[in-house]
Amino acid sequence: MKPRPIHYLMISPVQLMLIGTIFLPSLYVGWLSFQKSSFGQAAQFVGLANYAQLLADPYFWRALVNTVVIVNVIVYGELILGLAIGLLFAGGVPWPRLMLSIVLAPYAISEVVAVVIWKYLFEPQGGIANFALRGIGLPELEWAVNPVHGLVLVTLLAIWHHLPFTFIILYTARLGIPRELYEAAAIDGSGPFQCFRHVTVRLLLPAILTALLFRYIFAFRMFSEVWLLTQGGPARTTEVLAVYLYKAAFRYHEFGLASATGWAMVVLSLLIALWYMRVAYRRMFAHES
Amino acid sequence: MSHRPRWIAALRVLLLALVLLWSAFPIALVVLASLKPAKHIFDVPPSVLFLPTLENYRQLVRIWPEFFARLGNSLVITLGTTALTVMASSLAGYVYARRKAGLLTASAFFAVLIRMFPPIVITLPLFPVVNWLGVMDTHGLLIVLYATFFVSLGTWIMKTFIDQIPHELEEAAFVDGASLAQTIRLVTLPLAAPGMIAAGVFVLVYAWNEFLFAFIFTTTRAKTAPLLLSEMLGAVTGVDWGAVFAAATIQLVPILVFVIAVQKYLIAGLTAGSVKG
Repeated sequence: MKPRPIHYLMISPVQLMLIGTIFLPSLYVGWLSFQKSSFGQAAQFVGLANYAQLLADPYFWRALVNTVVIVNVIVYGELILGLAIGLLFAGGVPWPRLMLSIVLAPYAISEVVAVVIWKYLFEPQGGIANFALRGIGLPELEWAVNPVHGLVLVTLLAIWHHLPFTFIILYTARLGIPRELYEAAAIDGSGPFQCFRHVTVRLLLPAILTALLFRYIFAFRMFSEVWLLTQGGPARTTEVLAVYLYKAAFRYHEFGLASATGWAMVVLSLLIALWYMRVAYRRMFAHES
Repeated sequence: MSHRPRWIAALRVLLLALVLLWSAFPIALVVLASLKPAKHIFDVPPSVLFLPTLENYRQLVRIWPEFFARLGNSLVITLGTTALTVMASSLAGYVYARRKAGLLTASAFFAVLIRMFPPIVITLPLFPVVNWLGVMDTHGLLIVLYATFFVSLGTWIMKTFIDQIPHELEEAAFVDGASLAQTIRLVTLPLAAPGMIAAGVFVLVYAWNEFLFAFIFTTTRAKTAPLLLSEMLGAVTGVDWGAVFAAATIQLVPILVFVIAVQKYLIAGLTAGSVKG
């Protein structure tokens, strides 16, 4: 049915919020990325200078490499764990409601509390996880001084925090696969591995893609975990793009540079998502033929 | 499936135990630590048996009395955000479920796509505007910001739920002379209540826990509990871990209980919001 004016009025609160708070500001950021701008100083057009400055800044490259590496580890780590736990649960667990609640629990935790928790686990003196690592003869995680260890802790924390999302998407999709398909595959003589490959993975592919896409886009803008754990330190070695942007804007007051970083983040995350979907779909269809 | 070999059953139990350990142990640890006498919090190896005490909670009241006012801010902002999101999403979700037109489809697509813009990028242009409007450090600002980032998901969830309600029910109400507002309020929304809960759950958890916007746009009046927690964690005088654990426990227990209670809606909303979207 055709909408009447009242219907446009009804969608206007949502649309006005999105336009006023996200769309118009995003255009302004685009404009600002071509300006030189700081506090108490009129913006001045500088063309692509901010982008050139960005590409010449080794800290930007460091932040970009950090982001790309940890986002991939986080997203694929979550996928493997989420899939494994989803299949474990789909096979039947005792007290399913209670078990599901426990697996979902990290979703309820704020980023700040998650950082409190993981800092406590890995405290240099007295952290239980470091104690356990020592116990099995592994080196401790010196996350406050060693940049690689710092990023490892960020990655662990992020996987822990967002696993419930990936898990729920994959678990509900797995529950949607009819049992008959497995029975049919078994009658055709498929072993467990073949069942997994040709029935489970095949039919879960749309859900897997959804989970990956969402997590790529959201992990790419990670800020709080890194900020609260390391503030990008020591010596700006553990920065991610969002932390680089925050510092450019609110510490060094280079709004043009920060805006250029913002647009770089948007474009890069879209490119990754598009490229990823293309490759995934191609693989899907190559498999079909 | 009952003929599974015994070692597979044992392996499944072991894996399940590991999953539970991974998910629940870190949370339980902090709640337990909040009840430990402060001097035993960093015992190596960790003390398992201890006499629970409220010492850390008393310490929290003594050195960070501000925490409770910030918790109040979080509550006000969370309830305001949830109400705004659910109302705006219900109205829009109804239209997208019941009416079709090119412009509407385009605006629905816009809503889903624009929401993908990273919040941190938005803080840059908003900062001067917020200052200019004089709404820096206000509850209303956070409510609008939080709601904006969840109306797309909320609208989509509401559309999915309203799609499943037969529109003949509404037509019957129209025939009886009910207005559009009456019909939506008395016929559609009561039937779409599970959708409203599902749409509300996500934004409620987000608003209660959010850090980035609170960090950038609040300083004193509208400061939220997570922000104060981050300040406690970064205190220059050294971190009082006992008080931090007490505050973290007070912040996390209500929302954890809530998430467990509405688990069903959470799963329904996630399926409606992301798999189909």
